[in-house]
Amino acid sequence: MTKYIKKRLIGLIVVLIGITFLSFIMSNISPVDPAEAFMRRNAQTATEEQIENLREEMGLNLPIHTQYLRWLTNAMQGDFGKSLVSNKPVMEEILSKFPATLTIVGMALIIIVVLTIIIGVLCASHKDSLFDNLTKVVTILGVSIPNFWLGFMLLFLFAVSFKLVPVVGYGSIKNAILPSITLAIATSSSSIRLLRSNMLENQNKDFVTYAKARGIPKKKIIWKHIFKNAVPPMITLFGQTIGYMIAGTAIVESVFSWPGIGSYAVNAIFARDLPVINAYVLIMAFIFVICNLLADILNAALNPQMLRESGDL
Amino acid sequence: MLGKIIKNKQAVIGLIMIIIVLIAAVLAPVIAPNDPMKVNITKKFQNNSSEYPLGTDQLGRCVFSRLVYGARYSLGIVIPILLVVALLSIILGTSAAYVGGKFDRIFILISDMVMAFPPLVIVLALVGSLGQGILNLAFAMIFSVWVWYAKVVRSYVLIEKNKDYVTAAIIAGSTDKDIIIKHIVPNILPSLIVFFSTGVAGMILMISGFSFLGLGIEAGTPEWGAMLSGAKQYIYSRPYMIAYPGICILFTAAGFNLFGEALRDIISP
Repeated sequence: MTKYIKKRLIGLIVVLIGITFLSFIMSNISPVDPAEAFMRRNAQTATEEQIENLREEMGLNLPIHTQYLRWLTNAMQGDFGKSLVSNKPVMEEILSKFPATLTIVGMALIIIVVLTIIIGVLCASHKDSLFDNLTKVVTILGVSIPNFWLGFMLLFLFAVSFKLVPVVGYGSIKNAILPSITLAIATSSSSIRLLRSNMLENQNKDFVTYAKARGIPKKKIIWKHIFKNAVPPMITLFGQTIGYMIAGTAIVESVFSWPGIGSYAVNAIFARDLPVINAYVLIMAFIFVICNLLADILNAALNPQMLRESGDL
Repeated sequence: MLGKIIKNKQAVIGLIMIIIVLIAAVLAPVIAPNDPMKVNITKKFQNNSSEYPLGTDQLGRCVFSRLVYGARYSLGIVIPILLVVALLSIILGTSAAYVGGKFDRIFILISDMVMAFPPLVIVLALVGSLGQGILNLAFAMIFSVWVWYAKVVRSYVLIEKNKDYVTAAIIAGSTDKDIIIKHIVPNILPSLIVFFSTGVAGMILMISGFSFLGLGIEAGTPEWGAMLSGAKQYIYSRPYMIAYPGICILFTAAGFNLFGEALRDIISP
């Protein structure tokens, strides 16, 4: 187990270096000169000399590899420079947006897990029933529905027509209900189907036949044998999903005017606020990689025999 | 293969849905009763009539005609992107798996790095730094997804490469080029078609999402995501203006998903 974790951590370091490298490239291929953009925005009349001075101050005249190292050293200390729009430290602003995003992602995750387990197990244990077929149709719609549209439809239905929840706003849990549901639908749909097919696959395995032969009650077989063995791929999926959702909230947040990290990034894009975009990309990739790693390690800890089979240990 | 598709109810429904959208895209000028771009302020927010089957929008443009033309944008953007991604991923994935060794290790290293970014983040970053516009959006989409596809192609080729018939072809003296083009690619093609078909649905959703955010496609364009974005301020007074474009996106994406999944069941039951 420790050997596996060590191996993964070494791999992680390589990937993290790659991430910083790619993030740096992606935000430096911009045709816009950040120094000029900043001066145009903050000073009415910017002379060539002023722009040149700022360029020097920002280190833009240095060779590209020096710039990268400088940026990396600062980034590792949590310093991503200042926003070109608000002139405040980027890190400070991003940290202040995180709670809003984590609220809806956390709530969405609870919805996803509950829906997946209840519906997935019911479908697998009542294969080809009316409920199973209905779920199939609903989940196909669930993965095909544009989430921003779903958001508007929920908003119209529950906030405008039935007036059950406030239209838009931020602060209470009530406000977070609709954005969380919107965020949860697509992932729930795909994970319900994954759980169902994993469980059906396990249903025909020898250990289930043996358990049946021993006369173990059906309910116990479903939970203790079939469900338990269908969980590992789900953990991998959820690890990936958390990272996806934190990044994917941009669209949902924009529908509900939710003041999270996603809408912050979208606003930065409209303003061409490069330091913000830069930090956003790096932090998102970081979260994504860490979530995936944690899911893999959790899986390895729960099923050490899986590592042995795949030759990782 | 074709016979199996026709017998599969889900595949037929999906295929019909795709064909309807395709027909709408190709025959848009014939189907649409009005010019989708024609502004007529005196006729704004009209109800359904024989002249305007689904009424008019805030600028008096025919909603139905705009929806029909929208199919052109959705498919017209997705299909070229998909072709480039397919070509790139088949070439890179196949050569990584077939050549192996150092080339494969470099491929894995690069793909691990790119896959550390959720595709949405890459697109946001690239559109953010390159600027908005449809070409930049297309480039960003291609860059963000190619690696996921290439990785899948690589895994298919790895399985295929070690099969007996490839060994036999090598012994018989076939060239690498012949083995790849005549043996491996045709054999993995069905699985790839399934994978790309469900990929189309995801891409349509992604593109409409970006044009909803206002990134990539100009406001006023009769593209479904952009139409929805333009209608959002009328959610209280005219909710149908939001409903229609969403239904079109859902219909198209569901068609590709239904077809792709049915195809998967047919190929690997």
